[in-house]
Amino acid sequence: MNAISPNPTQKYDLSFARWVRDNIDGGERMNMCMQCGVCSGSCPLSDQMDLGPRKIFQMVRAGMKEAVLKSNSFYQCVSCYNCVVRCPRQVPVKYILHGLGRLAVQEGYQPKSNVENARFADAFWWSVTTFGKTDERLVTAKYYFSGGLMNGIKLGLGNLKTALGMIKTKRMHLGAPHKAKNRGELKAILAKAVEIQARHEGEA
Amino acid sequence: MADEKKIGVYLCSGCGIGDAINVSATETAATKQKASFCKSHSALCSEEGVNLIKGDIASGETNSVVIGACSGRVMTDKFQFDGTNVVRSNLREQVVWSHPAGDEDTQMMADDNVRMGVTQARLGNLPTALAEGEFSDTLLIVGGGYVGMTAALEAAKSGHQAILVERSDSLGGMIKDWTRVNPDDAPYREPQDNPVPGLIETVKNNAKITIMTNTTVAKTDGMPGRFVVELAKGGTSSVETVGAIIVATGWRPYDANKLGHLGYGVSPDVVTNVELEAMFAAGPVKRKSNGSAPKQVAFVQCAGSRDPAHLPYCSSVCCSQSIKNALRLIEADPDVMCTIIFDELRTPGTAEEFYRSAQEKGVVFVKGKVATVDGNLTVTYHDDLLGDDIPMAGLDMVVLATGMVPNSTNTEGAAIELNPEQAVYSHDDINPAAPIQVAGYKDGVVAPAVQVRTQNEVPDGAPILNLQYRQGPHIPILADGFSDSHYICFPYETRRTGIYTCGPVRRPMDMGEAGLDAAGAVLKGIQAIHNVRHGRSLHPRVGDLSYPKFGLSQCTKCRRCTVECPFGAIDEQADGYPTLNASRCRRCGTCMGACPVRTISFDNYSVDMINQMAASCEIPDEFSGKARILILACENDAYPALDMSGINRHTYSAFVRIIPVRCLGSVSLLNVSEALSKGYDGVVLMGCKSGDDYQCHFVKGSALAKERMGKVSETLKSMMLEPERVQSMEIAISDSARVGKIIDDFAANIVKIGLNPFKGF
Repeated sequence: MNAISPNPTQKYDLSFARWVRDNIDGGERMNMCMQCGVCSGSCPLSDQMDLGPRKIFQMVRAGMKEAVLKSNSFYQCVSCYNCVVRCPRQVPVKYILHGLGRLAVQEGYQPKSNVENARFADAFWWSVTTFGKTDERLVTAKYYFSGGLMNGIKLGLGNLKTALGMIKTKRMHLGAPHKAKNRGELKAILAKAVEIQARHEGEA
Repeated sequence: MADEKKIGVYLCSGCGIGDAINVSATETAATKQKASFCKSHSALCSEEGVNLIKGDIASGETNSVVIGACSGRVMTDKFQFDGTNVVRSNLREQVVWSHPAGDEDTQMMADDNVRMGVTQARLGNLPTALAEGEFSDTLLIVGGGYVGMTAALEAAKSGHQAILVERSDSLGGMIKDWTRVNPDDAPYREPQDNPVPGLIETVKNNAKITIMTNTTVAKTDGMPGRFVVELAKGGTSSVETVGAIIVATGWRPYDANKLGHLGYGVSPDVVTNVELEAMFAAGPVKRKSNGSAPKQVAFVQCAGSRDPAHLPYCSSVCCSQSIKNALRLIEADPDVMCTIIFDELRTPGTAEEFYRSAQEKGVVFVKGKVATVDGNLTVTYHDDLLGDDIPMAGLDMVVLATGMVPNSTNTEGAAIELNPEQAVYSHDDINPAAPIQVAGYKDGVVAPAVQVRTQNEVPDGAPILNLQYRQGPHIPILADGFSDSHYICFPYETRRTGIYTCGPVRRPMDMGEAGLDAAGAVLKGIQAIHNVRHGRSLHPRVGDLSYPKFGLSQCTKCRRCTVECPFGAIDEQADGYPTLNASRCRRCGTCMGACPVRTISFDNYSVDMINQMAASCEIPDEFSGKARILILACENDAYPALDMSGINRHTYSAFVRIIPVRCLGSVSLLNVSEALSKGYDGVVLMGCKSGDDYQCHFVKGSALAKERMGKVSETLKSMMLEPERVQSMEIAISDSARVGKIIDDFAANIVKIGLNPFKGF
């Protein structure tokens, strides 16, 4: 749904910074970044990221498109908003990271199967659109097996004890999934939302 | 005169003086010092107290007044009596406020201060002004650029005639044809129209301004108030008499041909910032190689600036200028991609707003040092924030932000042969090759490496004013070729009185600053014009009427006064005797300290006076255990610091006796040796910081004092005294909390090495 950036194969791309500014949500404020590093310092997940937000921004300016989009940082973000709240230049760091993450998947720098966030989001989306609710059991199962059969079994067995405990304390039920009423209306709402977003992106 | 002198001593017992010392004992000390009488009052600065003194002067009881009260730096308006010499003895700040009350040593200090005051009154006279001849009100402004024109206009606005001299055929200077300039008005976010074309019209239409284009200054003689200036136009010349001179010769860009490593000359699409301005003026910017509009432009900051191999300094305006030009490229075509590669983006003051404006508009800023630019316009730079070398390929144009070089000479004119003795005055005691120390780092913290500068000789070209001074034709310059000025306190002052520099010839600056600079320099020029006609000194002893008098009968023609005068005030006559150009003189007394036969003195200040003042203190014998230390404190920084120390109630040793001096440069070696032979146990010279970043208000007084002190060790050796007894200290005006400790340490050391064996001889 994002526009595809120009020259998707180029390692260095001089106009990448300008393109990010014009096309990524919040990108117009990225230019205001003064490289203080408060975002990277505030990030609870920064030790899991191969590149902190500060460095990513500077690499975007340097036109290092490939190195940026191959980073795993975007998918580690848990949207805690520490960076957004603390940025002295009001750069919406989290939004930019998510936009870049989407771009990386779209342009094939990151195969979707490698990106756990993407697979979990798919499972979550499937549950919401299908039942109008999240069903812990089915979302988890779908996410576990999205990485392949063996992976699913491994993850399932690894969490078996937790699952049994949840069943015992009635935190997870085993019958048919709960469903929202009037799911047809939900579908109509979602369809409308997709339409609005498409219209907005068309304008942009 | 001396026998007719009736010295009246007035002691104040207010402000705690009466509580801390026995004033009547001090009165006795004053009378014993042969004062005509001594009176005390509980508040001398009150109307009653002042009237007491006025009454005595009117009745003829006294014609020379000593006031023992607060520091001579305060209440100057109260204790000023026309036609009467007034001496101030500091009893408040430097005695009772900085020493314990009721103490025997405090009492001795107060008595000695009054004794010194009486001696000073006996030997000093009210100075009479020297102001002979005709004086001119006209200002000469050299340089017809933005700064020069602003200066001319400011001069005209204040009612003075101005002669505006420009060496090219038209006014406008460096930026005449530039279309837009950096913002100077709120909100400081957009490039502004160039004010120069409008300014040219205003200046041309001003009746008080005489414009002389194609003209240079061939010769300058005379002194403030009546400089005689020969103006050369073509083959002819005219002579004008002017009161003050403003030098606004501006700048030129650094020679980009020396920047081959940044691609200049390698590719036609590598241009300098000044060339880009010309391209803007010629219409839409086009690549020089193929005439197409550039789409990818990189601005390389610090091209040859802050680089020891080129210009070691920052020109302060190039960052804003690149921002301006990037904004203009984007304004003309929003698709243009502008990247500014900076080492440190320096956008002082309101230029920060301009920087943010550019960030918002999509100019990309990258921090790094550019290593090379090759023929294909690939910029390779080291990105400091990524720690990586980045090759930037695919650019259409590279703009090098070259720095400003001051026009401290006229590079279009022929250089003048200097004799070796004169060459030294262009830099003088300030060593252009001296490394710049980085100050302010605590112990254990590694400071950046000391920057070593290249020797920068006198720049090529003709001297701008061609001064007919004994010290040479040039206005002295600092290490990087900028004209010397006391850039913190007295920015416009050069070392040639009555000649003021402003604009980028003084230091790199943008138009907004330069306009203010022009106004400031003109005001200094006007001050000069109005003070010198009454024989009054200019800064920093503003209003002083005294001037050095030479006893030519004793003069040995050694020429040290003409050599050491920081302001080139003293010329040599044909017969080798010194001659004073009174209004060039700033009354520092450096000549007085230099003169080996002590034949130079002022009406109210002399080597002998300092000697006699020191000698009038009572020196306790060597069995008393009481040391005596003479402090000769520079009245500009050290003496106020001592005052402030008292105001803040910091204490220091009561063994010191403080005599204010005009400048350490006025201290003769004889003052030191005399004090030691009279029984003082130590001598301290307190002055300003000397050296490359000097703080001396008279430029080189403290440096000279240091140099002279280097020679004092021989004197001490011949007297069989320890060299530690004499020390020169650098005290800044902010050192009030520190100065007491320094004095105490020195006093403790004196006590350790033992008292002076010369006592009582």
